[in-house]
Amino acid sequence: MTTTLYEDRESVIHRLNPVTKLVAMLSIIIIVFAVQIWWVALGIIVFVVVPAAVVSGTGGRLLSLSLKLLLPILIVLVLLQGLFFPEGTTVLAEFGPARVTVEGLMFALGIGSRIAALVLCSLVLLLTTNPALLMTSLTQKGMSPKMSYVISSTLQIIPAFHTRAQSILLAQQARGLRLKGNPLRRAGALLPLVSPLVLGMFTDVEERSTAMEARGFSSPATHTSFVIVDDPLGQKIARWLIVAIAVTSVVLSLLGVFK
Amino acid sequence: MSTSHKPVEANKVRNRVFVAIGAVIIIATYLYLVLGQPSEFAEGDFGQASLIAIIGYLLGSVLIAVGTIHRLPTTTIALVPVAIAVNIVVGQISASIGLPIYLDSIGTILVGVLAGPAAGALTGALTNVIWGMTISPIALPFAVTAVVIGVLAGYAGRLGMFRRFYLAPIAGLITGIIAALVSSPIAAFIFGGATGGGNGAIVAAFRAVGNSLLASTTFQGLLSDPLDKVITFTIVVIILFALPSRFRSRFPFVREYNVFGKQSELAAPTRATRSGAASTDTTTSTVGDDSASADNGTTPRG
Amino acid sequence: MIELRDVAYAYPDTDRYVLDGIDLTVARGEVVGVVGASGVGKTTLAKIIAGFIPNVEGGTLDGSVTVDTVPISSLPLAEAVAQVGLVIQNPFNQISGAKFTVREEIAFGLENTGVPREEMITRVSDVAKLLRIEHLLDRSPYALSGGQMQLVAIASVIVMGTPVLVMDEPTSQLDPGGSRMVFDIISALTDAGTSVLIFEHKVELLREHADRIAVLADGRIVHQDTPRAVLTDDRLESWSVGSTRYTRAARAARDAGLTNPEAALPVSLSDSTDYFTTQRAGR
Repeated sequence: MTTTLYEDRESVIHRLNPVTKLVAMLSIIIIVFAVQIWWVALGIIVFVVVPAAVVSGTGGRLLSLSLKLLLPILIVLVLLQGLFFPEGTTVLAEFGPARVTVEGLMFALGIGSRIAALVLCSLVLLLTTNPALLMTSLTQKGMSPKMSYVISSTLQIIPAFHTRAQSILLAQQARGLRLKGNPLRRAGALLPLVSPLVLGMFTDVEERSTAMEARGFSSPATHTSFVIVDDPLGQKIARWLIVAIAVTSVVLSLLGVFK
Repeated sequence: MSTSHKPVEANKVRNRVFVAIGAVIIIATYLYLVLGQPSEFAEGDFGQASLIAIIGYLLGSVLIAVGTIHRLPTTTIALVPVAIAVNIVVGQISASIGLPIYLDSIGTILVGVLAGPAAGALTGALTNVIWGMTISPIALPFAVTAVVIGVLAGYAGRLGMFRRFYLAPIAGLITGIIAALVSSPIAAFIFGGATGGGNGAIVAAFRAVGNSLLASTTFQGLLSDPLDKVITFTIVVIILFALPSRFRSRFPFVREYNVFGKQSELAAPTRATRSGAASTDTTTSTVGDDSASADNGTTPRG
Repeated sequence: MIELRDVAYAYPDTDRYVLDGIDLTVARGEVVGVVGASGVGKTTLAKIIAGFIPNVEGGTLDGSVTVDTVPISSLPLAEAVAQVGLVIQNPFNQISGAKFTVREEIAFGLENTGVPREEMITRVSDVAKLLRIEHLLDRSPYALSGGQMQLVAIASVIVMGTPVLVMDEPTSQLDPGGSRMVFDIISALTDAGTSVLIFEHKVELLREHADRIAVLADGRIVHQDTPRAVLTDDRLESWSVGSTRYTRAARAARDAGLTNPEAALPVSLSDSTDYFTTQRAGR
């Protein structure tokens, strides 16, 4: 029972070592931000992200999620930069203080393609990667078990918290809590919701940490791993390769090659 | 395999170095983005600004998170997931009932005040990681802001801003201003000012009167962040004052820095109802009551 | 073996001892049940034996607490927890949350203490068989019922193989069948030499499985004896401890003048049959 976007399916992309996918995602994002050419970002979306989504059978989810998350941002971006770009010189149309400029639209295209690449790459990783396996494999690569604990535990308690918050909210509303009126009053109305949530957090935490300590959580022993995540040589090489490309693109970018 | 914990001292130094480098990278990134080359940005071409914003802020946040997690005791580690869940759940409810403020850092500030800046920084960073994993990846580039908020809440607690009810909103105001300054380059250089409908309209208004994009996102941030943090810090101080002081004083950070002020000292406990005389081999070990923070008449748990 | 001598404890920043004069011994292979009203300090006592008080939670601890003759507070926590397994009262909080399957959840403590993988796999499957939770191994720990979660919590502690077990109401979420199974497992563990201290209010199960029962009241062990002697003691109610239904029925009969006031009160069904049969024959 987790809240992540992960969809349990069987595909080549799903079977990749989670670290490989994470490294690929971060490298692609860095490449897109380093190169700063809009058609490179769009090319990566069309030739890498979309095929990966289709192969992994997550295309539908990716489409609906990206419409929900990206579309509002892209619309605001086009309106904002398309209409209000004082630095622009090539004016296409003018409505009072708003001026549609070629520079503004190009700017929106550049930024928009990068945001789209960032969001879509992250979504493909999240849709195809079991968070448990991601944590296990990161721990095997040297990430602190404490980090893995915090992330895994949070993912698993959020649904319970949500349920608790909703039931507190309903109970408060039944007793006459009003979530209307001016913002300050509404914020004040949240207080009776937040206090019980936080009190619950205090009472449980001490017991939890006792139980964890009793099972050797801060043991100085070298930790071992129950689950071994397969990490074939080919993927290791692929990871180094894509990291090398990302680093090269950053260096070239800083040298001003992509201007 | 995980790292061995044996060279504890070496790890301590390494972790300090991580935190220090992380902090330097974040500050350098901010200074570069703000003071960098305004002329270049003015033409609408950011040059390397967006690349430096994303790499500098992410790398700095990761280094601080990695460097701080090792030195936190298990009680704090167990607190962090719950605090993140509070951030996310309350943040979502706030958005769903249409509040114009975020209210997504209550847990981060609580942890900062109770367990210190390092714990606050970790809670902040991981809140955005989890927000990115569960709701929207757009939260990820803003992780640095959450780190800064957690750190500032910790120092506010250390400086005694939670000893008086009226001081907490002032700490919130300062935190909000700094948070706005830190996040505005992200909004400008990574998102082009388009972080959300309402925010976008405000940025557009500032742009329409001829401000640069960074100036516009900074003004927009200054309109929303300080208000949000004043309200959040007020909520946090109300919650903390309502807690029995024995809960609060369980945190070593609270005791060490008298986060909630000095309270009357207590004499050593006396054994009233002893059944038999103390045997000769009896030892007394006292740990953790060296602080002055005390609470008369509370009923201990059973 | 657990040995507590004249133990007293006050929380940090308080001036009252919540425990004051605890003398208690649990020998190797012995099960000792501790009964007492809620809020009497059972959880605190459990944490003292497990080495969390005063090293982690602070406060003032007087007297001596030894596990296998070693003072537990002199050990670093990592070594203390290798000696004493602690089952806490609320299984929801015993589940670490760090793992997404029951199988890995049970292995969590073994991973932390560096047990080799092959050994982990064997130990996890052995303990799962013991507690009959093999069918749950691939489920999420958070998708379990309260009773199932409690069995997983117990498994995750037993798998550590500590010589001493402290269990705080380990059957609170279990049905009678599940409770009985847990006590059978405890008996099997003590046969293998484990010392078990169990805080439990299901006195009929203690009567059946404990070697001794100690009564905790007013911060002290006010009485300890064989289960039969403790459970038929007339002072039990004044310590806010319940007796078995058989004892209660016989006592009611005795107080009504129906039975011989000298006869020993029954604590089990067969006892009870004997008691009422002889009482009737005696009339």
